[in-house]
Amino acid sequence: MAIATRTTLLRGLRCRACGELQPLDDRYVCERCLGPLQPDYELHDVGTSALRSEIERGPLSLWRYASLLPVAEPPAHYAVGWTPLIEAPRLGAALGIERLYIKDDTRNPTLSFKDRPVAVALARAVSAGLDTLACASTGNLASAVAAAAARNGLRSFVFVPEATEAGKVASAASYGATVVRVRGTYDQVNRLCGRLADDYNWGFVNFTLRPYYAEGSKTLLFECAEQLGWTLPHHVVVPVGSGALLTRTATAAHQLTATGLVDDTHCHIHAAQAAGCAPVSDAVLEGWRAVAPVRTPDTIAKSIAIGAPADGDASVDVVRASGGSAASVSDADIAAACQQLAVTEGIYVEPVGGVVVATAAALARRGVIGDDETVVLYLTGNGHKTEPGELVLRPAIDPDATSFETAYAEVLS
Amino acid sequence: MSAVIRLPSPLRPTVGGQRTVPIEASDLASLPSAIASRYPDLAARVLRDGGFDRFITVFVDGEDARFLPGEHALAGVREIELLPAVSGG
Repeated sequence: MAIATRTTLLRGLRCRACGELQPLDDRYVCERCLGPLQPDYELHDVGTSALRSEIERGPLSLWRYASLLPVAEPPAHYAVGWTPLIEAPRLGAALGIERLYIKDDTRNPTLSFKDRPVAVALARAVSAGLDTLACASTGNLASAVAAAAARNGLRSFVFVPEATEAGKVASAASYGATVVRVRGTYDQVNRLCGRLADDYNWGFVNFTLRPYYAEGSKTLLFECAEQLGWTLPHHVVVPVGSGALLTRTATAAHQLTATGLVDDTHCHIHAAQAAGCAPVSDAVLEGWRAVAPVRTPDTIAKSIAIGAPADGDASVDVVRASGGSAASVSDADIAAACQQLAVTEGIYVEPVGGVVVATAAALARRGVIGDDETVVLYLTGNGHKTEPGELVLRPAIDPDATSFETAYAEVLS
Repeated sequence: MSAVIRLPSPLRPTVGGQRTVPIEASDLASLPSAIASRYPDLAARVLRDGGFDRFITVFVDGEDARFLPGEHALAGVREIELLPAVSGG
């Protein structure tokens, strides 16, 4: 199958620290200052109508935005992205937010938004002729990498903390990945992979392929804007682990505006973290100070339990520049918010979704959200891969109507 | 006995392509100046204002140096690892 043709606006990789433009080779940090590299695009002389038409004619996946991605669609990968943006009136009423939307990214192939960055990293790995994908993961990324590798005939090695949820480990293993469980926190797993990335010619998606990988995260906001009729939401609430999703949300807002795909409206970007690991939210709420790493994260929101986020300071800068805010929410509030979301909108999320909903509630209580302003919540991971919370179930009944009506009289009344 | 500094591939050209180089410093706080005096090309890449640049993460025998005090003694330390600050999904 031929690789889809596309209009590319790509100029090269630009260092986010020193600004130097560099070629699109196998470097993954700036050759000059070791700063993070990010693809750079020619945006200002774009024909907006032609670009919009190209996108709207494109596939029902994140590859409809190929002009604003650093690699072309891989020939054999499955569809990722183009997930629904859902109005959430019942949850909105409960939170006091009139125009609330949910970006339901739990519906990706491996049930989390990680399929997006992995799709872009996979495309780069395939085009570079790599035969192995790898990652450090809190769980969701492991599944996404394992499945993408399987789909494209690559090997995969996924490194996870020993305490990773069994469902996520089982998912990754089922796709044929070599699952390496490591005694330690995510940050210790990350350090190990940083070492291995130098020793093995593998595509470590969140190290050696990171400039490409992180670009996939832009596509959530691209989709939200298109689904809102080429308009940016006034507010977007983003869960923060490494900060890559939050910083690329800002990149996406800039690119949408610079290309003229949306009007230059303001999009407030808010950071959502769990109190047990809130290096970014705490920095925002404590006067925009520098991020202080958390040595031992302790929260049920394990997917974002990253104590030393690479894009932490950049996330604080993005939140501040966008006029956004943050919250760090307790595990009890996270669990309650997951349940609130499930019973009001019928969406079952992992605890990170509860972090986002509880953060939106906190923002609403603080009066951050104005009347008639649109609010989008990023729900990034499905609940079916995590351990269920404590269930309170009634005793089983005999299979007859009387038993049912007796046992459930209170509910029926 | 001196410790070694383990370097990631982007930094190896600053020390003649070696993966590890020896270093002697009494404690963590004096490590930057020790690097500056012995490996000026490396220092130019990883130090800023007398400390490590924010794009470098330093590990002392596997422990993130940000969690250690400046007076943390380096006697008996086997390996100081410098890694680009790339982390997280």
